[in-house]
Amino acid sequence: MNVIEINGITKNYPAKKFSGDKIKALDNVSFNVGSGEIFGLLGPNGAGKTTLVKILLGITFSSAGKASIFDKPVADVNTKRKVGYLPENHQYPNYLTGEQVIDYFGRLSGLSKADLDKTTYKYLKIVGMDEWGTTKIKKYSKGMMQRLGLAQAMISNPDLIFLDEPTDGVDPIGRKEIRDVLLELKNQGKTIFLNSHLLSEIELICDRVAILNKGALIKEGSVEDITTTGNKYIFTTSDLTDEMMNKLLVEYKSTVHGRNEFSCSVNGIEDVNRIIDCLRASGILIHGVNREKNSLESMFINLIEQKN
Amino acid sequence: MVLYAFIKGIFKEALAKKILLTIFGFFTLIIVLIIFAITNSTVDGLQMMLESKSEGGLKEAVMMLQSGIVSGIPMFMLIASMLIITASFIPDMLKKGHIDLLLSKPISRTKIIIGQFLAGIILVFLSFLFLLGIIWLIVSLKTGYWNINFLYSVLWFTLIFAVLYSAVILIGILSRSSILTIIINLLLFFPITWLLYLANRYFESDQKGIVFGPVAETLLKFFYQILPKAWNMQDMCDAIVTHNPVAGYQPLISSLLFMAVMLSVSIWYFNKKDY
Ligand SMILES: Nc1ncnc2c1ncn2[C@@H]1O[C@H](COP(=O)(O)OP(=O)(O)OP(=O)(O)O)[C@@H](O)[C@H]1O
Ligand SMILES: [Mg+2]
Repeated sequence: MNVIEINGITKNYPAKKFSGDKIKALDNVSFNVGSGEIFGLLGPNGAGKTTLVKILLGITFSSAGKASIFDKPVADVNTKRKVGYLPENHQYPNYLTGEQVIDYFGRLSGLSKADLDKTTYKYLKIVGMDEWGTTKIKKYSKGMMQRLGLAQAMISNPDLIFLDEPTDGVDPIGRKEIRDVLLELKNQGKTIFLNSHLLSEIELICDRVAILNKGALIKEGSVEDITTTGNKYIFTTSDLTDEMMNKLLVEYKSTVHGRNEFSCSVNGIEDVNRIIDCLRASGILIHGVNREKNSLESMFINLIEQKN
Repeated sequence: MVLYAFIKGIFKEALAKKILLTIFGFFTLIIVLIIFAITNSTVDGLQMMLESKSEGGLKEAVMMLQSGIVSGIPMFMLIASMLIITASFIPDMLKKGHIDLLLSKPISRTKIIIGQFLAGIILVFLSFLFLLGIIWLIVSLKTGYWNINFLYSVLWFTLIFAVLYSAVILIGILSRSSILTIIINLLLFFPITWLLYLANRYFESDQKGIVFGPVAETLLKFFYQILPKAWNMQDMCDAIVTHNPVAGYQPLISSLLFMAVMLSVSIWYFNKKDY
């Protein structure tokens, strides 16, 4: 089942007042997000990630196209009860304490006082902020604000959570903690929509990603599909003999990286096994056989460079 | 439910920003000054009328005093100060990073505007009830004449505020600037609508000292008709406080119409705007 369906969403912003020129922030973007997924939306600065999320939440309106959340058009106010949101550069009235921020936005999400009494500290504890609940947020650091924002996004126990750069300004340990929180939410069956430039993080937790560049969707798929490139395998072995190295070069068109490693492009898994047989027949020990993967980062950089 | 939480949030904000404290302090000061004024001079005058044994004379005097309290200048100062205080509500709400989050909550944009409108009106109603209610108590206790009609001024002042506040909301949404909102609305209140009010009174009278060209006269009448009539409403309030007949409810109706238009335009614009 799809939680989010996006069909041909286009967004034009006026470039300058009264000039009639337009900035195309999103250009005919379509994809779906399934239930229970952690979905990552990637793209360079100004690609249109925030704009897309805002359209899905009814904060900004699309110029063309259709989108729905839980099978309801994005304009539907009541579906927002099931949705949490951590905006980028979120700001709360700075005279409030952390606890009051959660309370205020929790009430706006439709929670009763009794609900909030039960859950406010539960969520502050999850993001590691329970000791700061009664401190005014003007005394918070950037990372603390981000953690509070995450608690705010989770407070109404939503089925779908949008997070715009959730780890922005958070230290490495905090990031790990946030990743764990997100994985825990996924285990509870929640759907998470994540905007980020931190590709290594996305790679760690996302099931599927979409890549936006200058408003256009240039790639979409599972992290696995996007990062594996072709049929190249890397073999690590015990010392190769000169004879074997020669054979690998000539017969299998391998690239030998030294006495203990070579890589080889194959047509299928039979080829891989044929090489293994050949190695084993000569008494060479195999330490590992791995399919070559690009990191999401190098993949991303290649893609964006191609497009520009 | 969510609307209630939203309005409560606005009040909490007013409390935290010491807005409520400022209003309370300011009004208490006015009350103290009035107590002071009444004990010294006014009561002597009233006492003299009391001695004339004419009950009508006392009532007349009390009503004159009360009519002075809700006359044009105090009315302007009270309502203008409340307009200044509430002018920041909308621009504060529209700040980046806050409005995004608010709009992601299950509250419709229409309800957000209605919530802001109601919050302002409730705040002002309670403030005026506090100020004018205590003044009424003091005057009534000192003189022994309990003129219930004076309390209607709380409603009238709140109504005048509500009409002007609808323009504060629209300009706040359009400009997102508290300063601009304050300037435009105060100018509208005084001198613009005041001059139009005077011009209209002049046209309705038979004196023809100053001659307006037909175009000027039509324009002035036109703007008088479409803009809020705070000063006529103050006249109406005065008539009620002093137990006189109200000249006509036309200005009230057209002011309420202005308010409805301002609110509708605000809601329409806010509903289609990107944030
Ligand atoms: N309110 C607006 N008015 C005009 N243009 C806008 C507005 N908001 C965004 N844009 C433009 O739309 C484009 C996409 O912006 P958006 O904020 O969606 O990018 P992003 O992918 O979130 O970038 P970042 O990674 O920096 O957060 C940019 O060119 C931006 O200048
Ligand atoms: Mg962004």
